[in-house]
Amino acid sequence: MAASSEPNSREDIFDSSLNLEETHLKEGYNEGYADDLVSGEEEGRQVGLKTGFEVGEELGFYRGCIDVWNSAIRVDSNCFSSRVVRSIKQMEELLNKYPISNPEDESVSDVMDSLRLKFRAICATLNVKLEYNGYPKSSDGGNIQF
Amino acid sequence: MSLVDESFELKELQVLEGHADRVWSVAWKPATGFDGVPAVLASCSGDKTVRVWEQSPSSGSFQCKAVLEETHTRTVRSCAWSPSGKLLATASFDATTAVWEHVGDDYECVSTLEGHENEVKSISWNASGSLLATCGRDKSVWIWEVLPGNEFECVSVLQGHTQDVKMVQWHPNMDILFSCSYDNTIKVWAEDGDDDWHCVQTLAEANNGHTSTVWALSFNATGDKMATCSDDLTLKIWGSDLLTIQSGNGSAPWKHICTLSGYHDRTIFSVHWSREGIIASGAADDAIRLFAEDGDGLVDEPKYHLLLKKDKAHDMDVNSVQWSSAGNRLLASASDDGTIKIWELISLAGDQKPPL
Repeated sequence: MAASSEPNSREDIFDSSLNLEETHLKEGYNEGYADDLVSGEEEGRQVGLKTGFEVGEELGFYRGCIDVWNSAIRVDSNCFSSRVVRSIKQMEELLNKYPISNPEDESVSDVMDSLRLKFRAICATLNVKLEYNGYPKSSDGGNIQF
Repeated sequence: MSLVDESFELKELQVLEGHADRVWSVAWKPATGFDGVPAVLASCSGDKTVRVWEQSPSSGSFQCKAVLEETHTRTVRSCAWSPSGKLLATASFDATTAVWEHVGDDYECVSTLEGHENEVKSISWNASGSLLATCGRDKSVWIWEVLPGNEFECVSVLQGHTQDVKMVQWHPNMDILFSCSYDNTIKVWAEDGDDDWHCVQTLAEANNGHTSTVWALSFNATGDKMATCSDDLTLKIWGSDLLTIQSGNGSAPWKHICTLSGYHDRTIFSVHWSREGIIASGAADDAIRLFAEDGDGLVDEPKYHLLLKKDKAHDMDVNSVQWSSAGNRLLASASDDGTIKIWELISLAGDQKPPL
């Protein structure tokens, strides 16, 4: 393509029609990006609200259970075995350790898993079934029987 | 007594009928079957019941002495006697583990352990009877402490397996727990003081492990070898240094010793090592196979050979094989065909080898 000594204005005219596809591509991309920035942020906000609510609900539930158990221990220090008392204390430490203000902290799932295990062990020993609507279950559905 | 040059026959003594659905597991009651004490066997089934069978001292045949029913609401998958024989634990698909005590002529359910989210697959008592382990489809392994008055306290809930855990088994001498799973691995769990249990070793494909579901595991009498069986059609033998295990200094690592392949062409569901060193396997091809260690293998590289194969031991899949610990060479097997069979291992006179 000869481009040596043509006047600038003529180059510009041809350039813009030659690069039409690329121009339109760029325009489309920018439009899409801007649109999605808005809707993506909104979707992210919804997910954040939902997850935040669920995490808060679960942690609050554990806080409530621990508070009740601690109160029982204060009233009668022998109401639970030493193992259960120790487990409640460990669960409380885990709860305090949960990085509630920093959702991007990598340990969130580990701490939550440990909390759930401790909670299940305590409930099993006390022989109580404590849960609430929407309490996460780790098992999959299905009916395999071997 | 050398098992190498002898030839054997597995003689069918009796067929125990009564269960209305497949029989999943059998367990011999400890301290029975010798010194005048009649042998006792428990079996559990898809019919939601557990049956206790006792051998008659006069006729030698087994009769059903008790039916433990109306407690579990689904299949009873596994049963295990406590080392003293006083308690019988039963694991069910109804997500509970029931503990029964022999009271007079009957068995009474004295405790129910809840905690698993779904089907419980296996239970095991430790050597002293102070701990009980359970495992299930929810991928977790639970350890319970046995307290006075038939109270049970949950010591720990162990996560680590990524799939259904098929069996748990305590080491015969040490409080070390082994589990095997649909995730193809065997895990070893030990306590780091004060209820702090964690996985100290995983035997996976990379360690010469199984390439499909591991269904069962069994220890030899001394506890320095372990046999595992799998859907990958092999039996694997693992070993550990006995002295290191016993010193309790950290855990002695388990190493692959040998793989028995080419003997089974369907899934092997059960394996059990007798006190004399004979390994029995029960498989999906309805057969029972017996293996023994070669006499001329090296100490560090023992080899095993097929002692005999019992074709059509049952009409359907053999789910469980269990040697009696009474030294009477009795073997019990349980099958999808709804029956339990009692076998006796008989050594044949002379050098006649029976056809395989």
